[in-house]
Amino acid sequence: MRGKKTKRSASSPAVTTVVVMRLYIANNAPNSLRAIANLEAICKEHLKGNFKLEIIDVLETPLRALADGILVTPSLAKMSPSPAAKIVGNLSDKSSVLHALGISVE
Amino acid sequence: MKSNLGALEKDSSRANAGAEFEGRILRLVKGGPERQAIEAGQVDAVMDPATGSALLLPAARQALRKDQARVRSLLALSSDWCWEQDELHRFVSHTGAASGSSGIYAESIIGATLRDPPFDGMSESDWETHRRLLEWRGTFRDLELKCTDRAGEMRWVSVSGEPIFDEQDRFKGYRGTMRDITLRKRSEVLAQVPRKNAAEGKGGERLPGVERKLVKGDLLENGLLAALPRKDYRGLLAGLKPVTLTYGQVLYEPGEPIRHVYFPNDCLVSLLTTVEGHQALEVGLVGREGMVGISLALGMDVASVRALVQGTGTAMRMNAARFRKEFRKSLPLQGEVHRFIHAKLAQARQTAACNRFHRVEARLARWLLMTRDCLRSDQFLLTQAFLADMLGVRRVGVSTAARALQQRELISYTRGKIRILDRKGLEAASCGCYEVIRNL
Repeated sequence: MRGKKTKRSASSPAVTTVVVMRLYIANNAPNSLRAIANLEAICKEHLKGNFKLEIIDVLETPLRALADGILVTPSLAKMSPSPAAKIVGNLSDKSSVLHALGISVE
Repeated sequence: MKSNLGALEKDSSRANAGAEFEGRILRLVKGGPERQAIEAGQVDAVMDPATGSALLLPAARQALRKDQARVRSLLALSSDWCWEQDELHRFVSHTGAASGSSGIYAESIIGATLRDPPFDGMSESDWETHRRLLEWRGTFRDLELKCTDRAGEMRWVSVSGEPIFDEQDRFKGYRGTMRDITLRKRSEVLAQVPRKNAAEGKGGERLPGVERKLVKGDLLENGLLAALPRKDYRGLLAGLKPVTLTYGQVLYEPGEPIRHVYFPNDCLVSLLTTVEGHQALEVGLVGREGMVGISLALGMDVASVRALVQGTGTAMRMNAARFRKEFRKSLPLQGEVHRFIHAKLAQARQTAACNRFHRVEARLARWLLMTRDCLRSDQFLLTQAFLADMLGVRRVGVSTAARALQQRELISYTRGKIRILDRKGLEAASCGCYEVIRNL
């Protein structure tokens, strides 16, 4: 399903690759919930399905977050396309999120 | 920074807890965008590599606590309690809106497992099944259990639970919910037991035979069935059919196969032995305390005595195959039936000796008292011919004995209608066998 979507939108000039991201959150804490909502909105508007998002709860798997070099949550890490980037906070600053994800807005 | 961490100072009872915590966070997050995010109040947790865990900032911790409380209060809407058990399945906490009103003490279940009081009613095999599920750390739903509330009344609860694990995937116990389902259970049982009034409407008064007047507080339930644990009783109920047995009806003849067993509610069944060339002799009486068809429980499917209905009333009937199956399955049923068989054997032995050695008058008094105990009524219809059969004497002997008891004003006896006037006096007039049989 996802592959089909990717193929179709690959023809569109705006986005050509799938963005792979990891979002580190702390359960249902307020900033974590806000970060998810903000990221969802950004993805919907600018990535249109061309993304893979993994959400990691640091309260459940703290060792994984430490291994990934995460210091605070919420944090968003872009794994691909390179360069890798990281942004911390509740992702309410949309322009810095877009910048970190390498999305240029006309 | 202050704006975010300051909440801890208000939150904590320790004066320097906030400062300590702040110092710890500052050591972990030295600067950069992380520090900025914390100062902007956009961070929930900071990772601590030393302990390998996440440290929740005060605002996030408070929010999560409120969140849990909200989930608990929502859960309480659909259930009566939320509970938690430790690794050994003992209740360690128990919260809920209804714990006060429903009468099951929170304190009384703390430290108990589902097998301990105040819970009750789980058979050995059920517990074994449940224990296996717990060992596999399975989730269980709607496990129905009996328990006793603080007033000593029996209630039913439905319990559901799931295992809890810590971060290292170690098993920490179970948590779940419990609902009080007493009302539902009661209505289920009522729906399956024939209503007292309905059965009484067809009572023996209009039919020939024993006239009954129910003693106050009488229950229409068979005593042997009522003595079973609810669970076993419920298992049997599906196979039981309420029937009306009428005076003179023969349930079994000696040598004939037993097709059904009967648990009398308020009827009376005589067990008679026939000897060639003589009239039948009563060797046992079965009322609401027992069952008819004990040969089946002893592994024989052929009747050894004639079972004759002496008092019209209702009984619960079960077919022989089903009874054999249930009897094998239910230990409590075996216990109750064995107890009853023992009492009947002893009664037959006592009756045999009594018939040989005691006077007709004393035997008649004994028989009337035994019938009264079975029927729980002081009044019944009996013909002299019938009494002669019961006692194994000629009709003249019965009328002489009855007249003697009547003269002592112990009974009244007119046209087949017998009424016990003086129970204590009749006990004194009977032989010692009545006392022996009653105490079995």
